[in-house]
Parts: sequence; structure tokens; C-alpha cells
Amino acid sequence: MGWTTMKKGSREGVQRCTVRWGWWLAVTLLLLSGTQVMAFEDDEACLMCHKYPKMGRVTEEGVQKNYYILPDVFSRTVHRNVPCRDCHSEIKELPHKPLVQGVRCDSECHSVTNPSTGKPFSHKSINDAFKESVHGRQKVELGPDGDKPYCITCHTNPLYNAAEEAPPPHIIERCVVCHEDQQFSEKWYNHTSRRIREVKRSSQEIVAMCLSCHNDKELVERRVQLAKEEGRELGHKFPIAGESYQLSFHGKMTKYGTSDVANCLDCHAASENYYMSVHELRPSRDPVSPVHANNRVETCQRCHKVADANYAAIDPHPTSAKAINPFNYYAELIYTIVGDAVMIGLVGMAFVETVGRLRDGVSWRFVRGSSWRRRRNGLDN
Amino acid sequence: MKLSTEAKAVLETSIRQRELSWEEIKELDELIAMMPDDRKRLYKNVVSNPIGDLPRYNIHIRIQHLLTFTTFLLLAFTGLPIYYNDAFWAEPFNNMLGGVEVTRVIHRTLAVVMIFSMVYHIGTLLFGTIQRIGARRFDIRRTIIPLWKDARDFKEDMLYFAGKRVQRPEMDKFMYKQKIHYFAAAFGNTVMVVSGSSFLFPDVWASILPSTVASHFQEIMRLSHPHEALLALLTIAFWHWYNVHLAPGRFPMQWTYLTGFITREHQMEEHFLEYLRCLVELPEERRLLREMLQERGLAQPVEEDAGALLQMDMVRSTVS
Repeated sequence: MGWTTMKKGSREGVQRCTVRWGWWLAVTLLLLSGTQVMAFEDDEACLMCHKYPKMGRVTEEGVQKNYYILPDVFSRTVHRNVPCRDCHSEIKELPHKPLVQGVRCDSECHSVTNPSTGKPFSHKSINDAFKESVHGRQKVELGPDGDKPYCITCHTNPLYNAAEEAPPPHIIERCVVCHEDQQFSEKWYNHTSRRIREVKRSSQEIVAMCLSCHNDKELVERRVQLAKEEGRELGHKFPIAGESYQLSFHGKMTKYGTSDVANCLDCHAASENYYMSVHELRPSRDPVSPVHANNRVETCQRCHKVADANYAAIDPHPTSAKAINPFNYYAELIYTIVGDAVMIGLVGMAFVETVGRLRDGVSWRFVRGSSWRRRRNGLDN
Repeated sequence: MKLSTEAKAVLETSIRQRELSWEEIKELDELIAMMPDDRKRLYKNVVSNPIGDLPRYNIHIRIQHLLTFTTFLLLAFTGLPIYYNDAFWAEPFNNMLGGVEVTRVIHRTLAVVMIFSMVYHIGTLLFGTIQRIGARRFDIRRTIIPLWKDARDFKEDMLYFAGKRVQRPEMDKFMYKQKIHYFAAAFGNTVMVVSGSSFLFPDVWASILPSTVASHFQEIMRLSHPHEALLALLTIAFWHWYNVHLAPGRFPMQWTYLTGFITREHQMEEHFLEYLRCLVELPEERRLLREMLQERGLAQPVEEDAGALLQMDMVRSTVS
């Protein structure tokens, strides 16, 4: 009887509990879905399909492509105000055909006007400058220049846009006095404050970004081989640029999180107009490059105020590779040989002495705070 | 005991410097004559205090050694995780100290203490030498300066350990091993200080060196600092600690670096020439040795007309 009552009561309790938690779950999901919808204005209804996590395909080359868009993430990127079809301009109908051209970063955004010129916004000018740099390439590169970085190789949104902080209420409250739309005020605040704050990546991020290619041995080897075939000059440090930087003091300190030492761009980009300069990197043999022999003193002086020609001759990419720095190679070889010989000699000497001393009657017997000789009958001969 | 030419020369110099009286010379002469010709029999059977019997290092040398070895070990423990920053243990070790920035500050601070120890040592050497020269008690054989005799001692000692000689060579206050170690340490310290300073003040070195040398100098210093550190650490671990801690008869340690005194047995075995000086300088040691020789049956009969007595003709003539 008691058991039956308890069982019944328990069942009702479970039902009540299920209903209560179901209610809360539904409210929570509704709120969450509402947040997502509000985060991204999908006027073109792209999310109608792209909201599904399984949205994707496997290409003929076997590469898995994912076309899932997370509205909440996209709404925090720098392109959140750009409608999809401003970049994916191939799309003329829904459902659309497979895209073949891809996004070009120098195309014009028809929906976004550059407030300084009144014309459609575009990255064309910086893209043109980039194409002239040592990294320059076209959007679609099927040849060897496909190894070079395109805009999105470096400008990855997750790297560039950490979670944005909530705008300070006391500022937004002030904005909405005139700009009544709070959402507009928050967006405007995020857009401007991000640029007013330091937007430069950390030294570690810059080094990691550069080394993702410059430490890729296969990629580097392809570039070296190509330069050889084309009879083109290539910087002699190019094959070891990444690993030698990591060996340097700059590299070690950057690894440990110090931002007071030079990262790749601090030397290879001009300090004036830095943000444009990083898109215009030149090889060290180019007289315009900050690391060209004629410009090194000035480049070193950016941080090391007393640097002179002697100082600028100190190698920031140290290596003991024989082909590149035979002096270091032989110095290291001598150090290794001498070190090994010394250790073998000393350990050998200790071994001979141990054998001799044991034969001499000394042992490791521990007596009166020290090891002592084995004495037989008072006297030992 | 019949003295070798080298031993006689050391003894004569010591007697002259200490201005021993005729009676003392006679006593010393008799004592030496009583000592068995087989030095092994002597040093294997004398009474020794493991903590030390005879003075060897003054308080300054002991402080310098203490400063040097503590800073050396701590410099190694802080320097290795900075250099081997990619090793799995480096980051946790640095984090334990408060991060690599803290490790670097500790490393540099310790380097300053080690440099102080070096300067202190050089000062002690200079003032001590000037003082001894002024008092007419300087003897180059008693210093750490390498002499040709050390090469001979090395060869003879190795032959002894290999069973090809019946006795170890008569070595001075600083034997060949100590001289090798001392100059290796002196060279190593200099390399570490110069290379360390080139990391801290690269601009200063670049400005004072010729342009053809400046870059290579920095490269060599960059290679030298870790190589020398590792070599020094391995030498200390495998050789110095063997010699002073682990060698049979030395285990668990020689107390000299703390007490300043060396055992009689050790002094006779490895620094016999210095032991002869102790006999000159310490009347109490002459008395103790005589008692030991007689009590332990080690004394050999002295034949007055056999030339065993008054071997030191030159000293005798000088004193008379």
C-alpha cells in the first residue's frame, strides 16, 4: 500500500517536474533564439538554409566544406553590416547555384557607403597596394603563387575580433539622447572604439601568423625551388626565416609574452603609416625595405636608440647552417668537439683514478664522518 | 726518508722564509730522516681527523667558494629554462618562479653576485701576493700558477693509478687537477660574464669593437654562453663532485671548503710538498708526527753518518 502510494506520488512529482523544467527550457530556448535573430539582420533570408549546422558538402577532391553560418558569431565580425550578396555577388536567385568565383576583397560593397567619400565602400586601394608587395597575388591563383597569402590568410575574423565587450551603459545612455536607436549606438560604439583602441595584434599573434607559412618547410622548399627555376634572387635567410627568428633573443622573448621586443613586422614593415606598410612588405634586397642594408641602422634605432652600423650588423636571424653562416657552423662544431673531448677526458681520468684508488686500498667505507681506508691489524702497507 | 731534489728545494725555501733556528732545522732534519721512504706506508697509517688537521684555505677563499658555487648552481637552474625554452620542463619551472621575466631578473641578480665573488677573489689574490712578497714569503710553487712539474705529476699519477709506479708523485699545495679545474672555472666565468654582458649591453660592445668583429663577436657570445654553461655544469657534476665528494677516500665530502682544514692523510698523499712546509711552519705538527711515527712503529732507524741527517746542506750553510 505504502509502496503504491509512493509510486503514484512519485510519478506525479516527475510529471510536475517535467512540465516545470520543460516550461523553463522552452522560455530559455525562445530567449536564445530571439537573441540570435536580433544579432544578425538577415534581410536576404540566407539563414533560411545556412542556419543548419549540417549545411555543407564534400568536394570532388574530398575536402569537406561547411556552409553553416552562426549568426551570433557573424554579428560580431567587422562585416556584420554587409549583406551577404555584397560579397557573394554571383548569387542572383534562391536557391543559388554552386559558387565558382569566390569572394574578392577588392569588390565594391553596394550597400555600404564610405562616409568619407560618399562612394560604395571597397578594399580596392589596399588590395592594389598588397598586390605590389612581396606577398602579392591574385584572388584565384592556380600556379605557384597560390602559396602566397591572400587577405583572409591573415585577416581571420576569430583572430581579429575577440568577443566584444558590452558598451558602457553611461556612454550608450548619452548617445541615445540624440541617436534614438540603441542598436545603432551600440554598433557605432563598437566600430569606432575598436579602432580607437589598439587594434594591432599581439606580437605572439603576428609571429604565429607569419610562421604559419614561413615555418612550413614544404611551402618554403617550393618557393626556393621556384626561384631557382626562374633564376630569381631570393633572400639567403628566406629558408630559415622562421626558425632563426625563434632562436634569436627577439623570438625567445616574444614566445614568453614580452611585447617589448621586435616581432616580424616591427622590422620588416615601415614604422610610419604602419597599417598600410604591413600590406606593402618588400624583400630585403629592395632599397625601400626597412631591412635593406642601407636602412638597417635606422630600423634598429626605432627601439635601440644608440644603434650604429656595428650594431645593425648583428644578425637578428642567427643560424649555424653551414651554407648560410659557415663561421657559426664551425664555431659550434669546435664547441661541440671540445666539449665532448673535455668530458670524455675528465670522466676517463676519474675512472682511472677510481680503479687506482680502490687497488690502493681506499674504499667508500663510511667512518667518523668520512670514508676511510681499510686497515688490517692496525697498520696497512 | 731520502728527500727528492724537488722536496729539498721546497723545504730549503720554506726554512729560509720562516727563518727557522738551528735547533728547529735539526729537529726537522731528524724527523724527516725518521719518516719511512715509502710514503704510502706513511699516509695510509697516520692518524687523521676527517674534519681536517692542517690549515689550507683562509676565510676569504671559503667565502668566495661558497658564493661561487651557490650562484653557479642557481645561475644554471635559472639559465637552463631560459635557454631551453622549448623543453617541456622549462615553462613550468619559469612559472614556478613567477614567469620568465622573474627568472631573468633572478638570473641577472645572481650574475652580479658571482661577478662580485670574482672581483673579491682577484682582490684577495692580489693583496695576498703583495703581502707575501713584502714579507719575503712568496713561493711560486705554492701558488695555483701551472708549472711544467704539473705535467710530469699528471703523467706520473696516471701511471701510478694504472699500476705502473710504486708511489704517487710528490705534489704541491695545488696539484694538477686543482689547477686544471681552477683555470677552467676562471676561463668559464670570464666567458660567461663577457657573453652575458653582450646580451645585456649589445650596443656597448658593438660601439667598442671594430666593425669587422662586432657581428661575429655577438654570434660567438650567443653560442658561448649556453655551451660554456653546460660544459661547466657537466664538469662540476661529473668531475669536481667526483673529486671532492665521490672518490673513494673522499666520500661523503672533504670538509676543507667549510672548515679550511685538510686531513693529514690527504695532505701527505696528494700535497706532500705542502706537508713539508707544514712541518716547517707548525712546531706542533712536528711533535705530533714524531709521536705518531714512534707509536705506530713507522719510524725508520736514523743512521747519523749515512747522510740521512742534515740533508739540507744549503740551508745549513745559510743558517750557520
